[in-house]
Amino acid sequence: MKKRKLPALLGAGLLALSLALSACGGGGNNNTGGGEGDGDQTLTVWTWDPAFNIYAMQEAEKVYQKDHADFKLDITEVPWDDLQAKLTTIAQSGSYKDLPDIFLMQNNAFQKNVINYPDLVASLKDSGVDFSQFPDSVKAYSTIDGQNYGVPFDAGTAITALRTDVLEEAGYTIDDFTDITWSKYIEQGKDILAKTKKPILSGQAGSSDLIMMMLQSAGGSLFDKEGNPTITDNAKLDAAVATYKELVDSGVLVEVNSWDEYVGTFVNGSVAGTVNGIWISGTIQTATDQEGKWKITDLPKLDGVDGATNYSANGGSSWAISSTGDYKLASDFLKSTFAGSTELYDTILPKAGAVAYWTPAGDSKVYAEPQKFFGDQPIYQMVVGYGKDVPVNNTGVYYYEARDAVSAALTKIIQGTDAKSALAEAQSTVEFAMK
Amino acid sequence: MSPERRRNLTGWGFLIPAAALIAVMSFWPMIEAFILSLKTGRGLRLNFADPLWYNYARLWQDETFKLTLGNTFIYLIIQVPIMLVLALILANLLNNPTLRFKGFWRTAIFLPCAVSLVSYSLVFRTLFATDGFINDMLQGLHLIDQPVNWLGQTGTARFVIILGLIWRWTGYNMVFYLAALQNIDHSSIEAAKVDGAGAFKTFWYVTVPQLKPMILLTAIMSTNGTLQLFDESWNLTKGGPAYTTMTMSHYLYELSFQKNPNVGYGSAISYVILILVAVLAFVQMKVGDKRD
Repeated sequence: MKKRKLPALLGAGLLALSLALSACGGGGNNNTGGGEGDGDQTLTVWTWDPAFNIYAMQEAEKVYQKDHADFKLDITEVPWDDLQAKLTTIAQSGSYKDLPDIFLMQNNAFQKNVINYPDLVASLKDSGVDFSQFPDSVKAYSTIDGQNYGVPFDAGTAITALRTDVLEEAGYTIDDFTDITWSKYIEQGKDILAKTKKPILSGQAGSSDLIMMMLQSAGGSLFDKEGNPTITDNAKLDAAVATYKELVDSGVLVEVNSWDEYVGTFVNGSVAGTVNGIWISGTIQTATDQEGKWKITDLPKLDGVDGATNYSANGGSSWAISSTGDYKLASDFLKSTFAGSTELYDTILPKAGAVAYWTPAGDSKVYAEPQKFFGDQPIYQMVVGYGKDVPVNNTGVYYYEARDAVSAALTKIIQGTDAKSALAEAQSTVEFAMK
Repeated sequence: MSPERRRNLTGWGFLIPAAALIAVMSFWPMIEAFILSLKTGRGLRLNFADPLWYNYARLWQDETFKLTLGNTFIYLIIQVPIMLVLALILANLLNNPTLRFKGFWRTAIFLPCAVSLVSYSLVFRTLFATDGFINDMLQGLHLIDQPVNWLGQTGTARFVIILGLIWRWTGYNMVFYLAALQNIDHSSIEAAKVDGAGAFKTFWYVTVPQLKPMILLTAIMSTNGTLQLFDESWNLTKGGPAYTTMTMSHYLYELSFQKNPNVGYGSAISYVILILVAVLAFVQMKVGDKRD
């Protein structure tokens, strides 16, 4: 037995040593910053939504492969919330080498991530992308100090989609909902509700998406130019909140609790319309039994508000190149696909409803094609048209804080709290978060 | 080297790997987090705060933190006692030697805690959706006319979270009690019966006192777990409506990862949670353990 002791002791010691060493491993990180490319023709990509973003990336890969036979993409599906958490974790720990070459970022998060972490995203100054071919309102999200950091991709341009058969039943057409104000919308919505028992709008309780769309449509924002929150004494926001409350109180808008329920309301036909980014068109079309019964138009505008328009956006995202990515290859890839290939957009548009922000794509025949599902409207051409008139949205660095504070205020307002005090509370919440 | 000494060394040799791992993986990050909690700034632009305890002072003005603290304590005060009493009752029922299909009952009650936290939260969310199974069932039984908006109202949303917690953790604690019941000398229970004590009296005066150390352990573990509650808040309600179901851990996750990363402040919150757990565990020890 004696003989066994020493080896055991040695073994245990070695084990301890190796564990301690491996636990401290990964410390030596050599941040090359703006990778030079190592002759390797593969790019790694992080993005979410297989039916939309990943599909678009795969098609872009095919387009680029025509001139670059060895080119390959390695795409990982990462939901946005996780992607944001990953970016934060990587940046906080300084292990930038774990970043992919290209990742998709929500437009509303660009200011925050680029300003908080200057070493996270590469500037597209030398990428050769012609940014004059993208609308200003869209570029603004990913422009920091005059530099572009993102290639706009997913259009969040907002639409009103309505069930024409339900409208007809109450004696309306889509034209009655085009270029109108919210008060007119509510008036007609009440009438339709009385005649057909169907609300024409649904939304997630506690989500401020619709409020934010209203706000942006009038060129409003939750921040001023200096980045201070302007949730109180904000006439545009007050009008949006009052409109929202009226929508709920009148029953024209029915509130549900989750995204799935929201989608369910119009897919199963209990609600006769929706207002959202154009990307919702893909979801609407899953209700194959309703083919030909939908039409789209622009947004109602706020009443009595300076600068109110019928155009807005919800969400949207842009491609970013990471600081450690293969800049040369990645920028050339993006330049020749998402910012330079009508062929790509012609492919992905009918399949995914991926409307391009890249204006030249809007001139292609595919965009002008009538969509059978939407009563033969050329909806994609229409949306590209709307996109040009969307007012610039000043997101600021604290966009998500402000949005969530307004969501909480909205919940309270719908439950009966007076709007002024609820918004004042939201303002102080955001001010506190910024301290 | 004497055999004695060699034996000692061998023992230490076996201890070192685990000790090193715990030190590197647990204690070192804890110290780092404490240092971090003394810093302010967003993202990487961190500086030592002035005064050093700035983040801790800031907590007192943070209405959202107070709300999440309150929420967490509501879960703690309501859910933990209900769960432990239930677990105790179930354990006693299952301990009955004449009970048939004992293995089946035990497995069935313990099974929920083999389910992943995320998936059970999502299942509960689906069950309690406005057009979900629970509402359909209650309407089918004519107990309600209108669907209840379970997750859209503060009270009912908290109720759903508490219900979920009870469903998932009762069986877990029951197993601890069952194990402890195995160690109780059956003759003490026999003696009580001979002396004419009824079932309840036997349970209350004979069984429970002998289970005291285990009850203390489960109480401390449950308190610890509830104060650190995250998954249910995140997956079931997303903290809504208007932050009224959000737990402290969910709030600190949001501060550190979802929003503008205020990691210093987030670390301060995690230290407050640690202190709360320590204080409550200490109180429970003092109250529950009369052996000193």
